[in-house]
Amino acid sequence: MDTQASTRSPALSAVILSGGKSSRMGRPKALLPFDGKPLIAHLVQRLSQRFSDIVVVAAPDQTLPSLPVTLVHDTVAYQGPVGGLCYGLQATRGTAAFVTSCDVPFLQLPFIDYLVSQLDHHGRDYDVVVPVWQDRLQPLHAVYRRSVVPHLQEQLAAQRLRPVYLYDTVPTRKVSPAEIKRFDPEGLSFLNMNTQADYQAALAQWRTLSVPISCTVELFGVARLTARTSRVALTLSAEATLGDALTVLGVECPALLGSVLSADEAGHASLQSGYTCNINGQDFVRDAHTRLRAGDSLLILSSDAGG
Amino acid sequence: MYGFHGRLLRIDLTTQSYTWQDIESSRLTAVLGGVGLGASLLYDHAPPGAEPFSADNPLIFTSAPLVGTGLTTTAKYAVVTKSPLTGFIADSLSSSFFALELKRVGVDALVITGAAGQPTYLLITDDGVEFRTAAHLTGLSAQETEERIRHAERTEKGAEARVAAIGRAGENLVRFATLSNEGRHAGRGGVGAVFGAKKLKAVALRGHCRVAVADTGAVERIAATLRERSVGPQTAKYREIGTVANLAVFDRLGSLPTYNFQNTPFVQAEALSGESFVTNGFSQTHGCAACTIRCERLFRSLSGEAQRLEYETLFAFGPLCGIEEPDAVLRAARLCDRYGLDTISTGGTIAWAAECADKGLWPELRETGLSFGNAEAILALIPDIAHRRGVGAALAEGSRLAATRIGAEAESFAMHVKGMELPGYEPRSLKTMALGLAVSPRGACHNRSGAYEADFSGQVDRLQADAGRGALVAASEDFSAVLDSLIVCKFLRKCFDDFYSDTAHLMSAVTGWDYTAAGLKQVGERINTLKKLFNMREGWQPEDDWLPPRLLTEPLPSGVAQGVGLTPDELRLMIQSYYAARGWNEQGLITEEKKREFGL
Repeated sequence: MDTQASTRSPALSAVILSGGKSSRMGRPKALLPFDGKPLIAHLVQRLSQRFSDIVVVAAPDQTLPSLPVTLVHDTVAYQGPVGGLCYGLQATRGTAAFVTSCDVPFLQLPFIDYLVSQLDHHGRDYDVVVPVWQDRLQPLHAVYRRSVVPHLQEQLAAQRLRPVYLYDTVPTRKVSPAEIKRFDPEGLSFLNMNTQADYQAALAQWRTLSVPISCTVELFGVARLTARTSRVALTLSAEATLGDALTVLGVECPALLGSVLSADEAGHASLQSGYTCNINGQDFVRDAHTRLRAGDSLLILSSDAGG
Repeated sequence: MYGFHGRLLRIDLTTQSYTWQDIESSRLTAVLGGVGLGASLLYDHAPPGAEPFSADNPLIFTSAPLVGTGLTTTAKYAVVTKSPLTGFIADSLSSSFFALELKRVGVDALVITGAAGQPTYLLITDDGVEFRTAAHLTGLSAQETEERIRHAERTEKGAEARVAAIGRAGENLVRFATLSNEGRHAGRGGVGAVFGAKKLKAVALRGHCRVAVADTGAVERIAATLRERSVGPQTAKYREIGTVANLAVFDRLGSLPTYNFQNTPFVQAEALSGESFVTNGFSQTHGCAACTIRCERLFRSLSGEAQRLEYETLFAFGPLCGIEEPDAVLRAARLCDRYGLDTISTGGTIAWAAECADKGLWPELRETGLSFGNAEAILALIPDIAHRRGVGAALAEGSRLAATRIGAEAESFAMHVKGMELPGYEPRSLKTMALGLAVSPRGACHNRSGAYEADFSGQVDRLQADAGRGALVAASEDFSAVLDSLIVCKFLRKCFDDFYSDTAHLMSAVTGWDYTAAGLKQVGERINTLKKLFNMREGWQPEDDWLPPRLLTEPLPSGVAQGVGLTPDELRLMIQSYYAARGWNEQGLITEEKKREFGL
């Protein structure tokens, strides 16, 4: 697993914009209950796995439950996402922040890790990393450097309230759907809620994703001899990644640690050099963030196949 | 001169004479040793159009600059000739003490021409060549021959000769006969049959010459690093299981050809897997001289004999012929070693015959009882091939020539390229490898390029063909050409930080000449250009760079790659991309400009 992406970085922050009007929903979207807990509490809990500094931007009169975050209020209410973005980034301690809205129940952490990693892409620095999904830029699922704040302030002063103006001004990396699908095949990250019907559909999806998935690890070559078995059944969380699976595999087959698997200080396991992984006999993968699906078979084999 | 002797020994079997000749240093820097030097000498010493079994066809042994330096995995030699199986270049490698002794007799190459009147073996020392009768060795296996000659040629002071010999198959001109030494084989392309045509049973070597290196300290430092890495995770597969580890993985990935390439996967893959061989029975590791990887695995058969087994042998008699019993595969391997037969071509040719039997295309096969999976009938054919008895006489010609006798339908499932039977890599689910097999100068070969590496790494979509594969295959061929000319075992290839930079540094330290990474890359391309030039001179046509019809008409019927095929258009696209990457014209011919670029 890529430890850089999996540990909490003090240089990076997260911003949740919760100050929207929620007019079609009829009640504050941040407080919609999932498993008896407000959605915003779930979001903070999930983002805190990656970010130690989380800022929530609320409307001037908005009431939120007590959360381990820095709470700021829009100075001027309802200026759209640019306003929230600007006030949120100003309040962060990091050099860059992942920014999201408060109505997205299915954030995918590996995908967020990938977005953050793209601030420096092929040796080029970007100020913004924004995904493109269903032919639209997704400004509220994007990463911004704090250095863009002056540009946002200029936009607010000029009443240019669409984030896209910023992308024309500063170096912006647009992440393609093909890249997104590597981490989030169904685009769950972008599933937001505007109506009661959306909420009911999200609740149904939430229940589906709460069910653990089963995967099988098939061991070949030295891995098989070392583990003294050819197959290991794993039960994983619904949104498990390859890295998660390897970590669980290390727990199930400790003999593999040190020869086939390496574990970092946090206990996250990864494949040693000399080994690779193939999913279902189809795709060779090494990226720890690769999402797994129920029923997947993970083949662990020598990276020197053939010969 | 460092690293090289700078001379070769020409031996004429017809006149029983020999002479030493200098090798220009410009040639050595241009093509190194091993396969490169062999290809270069073959081009110059073989008369154009020489028949493979004629006295004119030279049999060339080459040493290499890294041999004898103490670097792990470098005790190797090449034997190069015009192949009786393909009619094109045959460049086979073998290894161990014979390779070290070749360097000690004070030459970089042996060029053997002519033909003896009677069975003969050669004793080559620093002082010259002795032509000895081999009448008493006729019919013996390579191993028995080796033991007899070593005993006979031991000096009073106990100095041993090292011997490479052929078995019965070579004597009988089986077109895929091997040359063997110390249990290792120069396996592919029928060099053993060229020995047989010259009535040459063996070559024995006994020398004392040493070659100095230019910078001993630097060579020792590099050697120490490689030695350490050679026992790390990059080679664990070879050390712990051997190449037989490929079978289970290939099966799972839909890349294990079964039943003469009619299907994949194989129902008994687990029982035949390398993991099962290691877990379920006796196994013993063995290594070549000066090798720290020690990839060889010997397994004990039910009769108690220890038998070396490699993936390609396991594939060729297991899934390809449908044999399900591990012990039967070990027995087949033992028979091939005894008679001196290339296991891939033997298994491939028998698998083709089994399909002929299934389809009722060859009535004479009825008497043999041959069918897929009938281990006893398959095993019985091996000595018949070596002795050219019954249907074995036709099978001894290889699947291409045998099929021409049976008819067009049988030709459509003769699984060869340029006459050489395919190794155990399913081309339809390994598209880069498909191209590598089609264009390889020596026929369907998995050693002169590692094209499969792109398929097995996720670097490409292995199930799809595209125009990017040509550059990958060309680069892989060039890499292998350098590897095979230094010579370094390919199992060490992942132990380098940067192969070309590291080996340029190494070659500079060994020879004292200035090598660069870019220069060595160019050497690889030059060697492959040379091989192609030889093939062009010997009648290569564009249709020779092609795959068997089955692969281009039948999608895989099952497994993870079910429904995946390879169309002629897809193959053509990849071949054109390969010619473009090579800078050749659309017909695959080398342009005058390219020849000039390489000084050819």
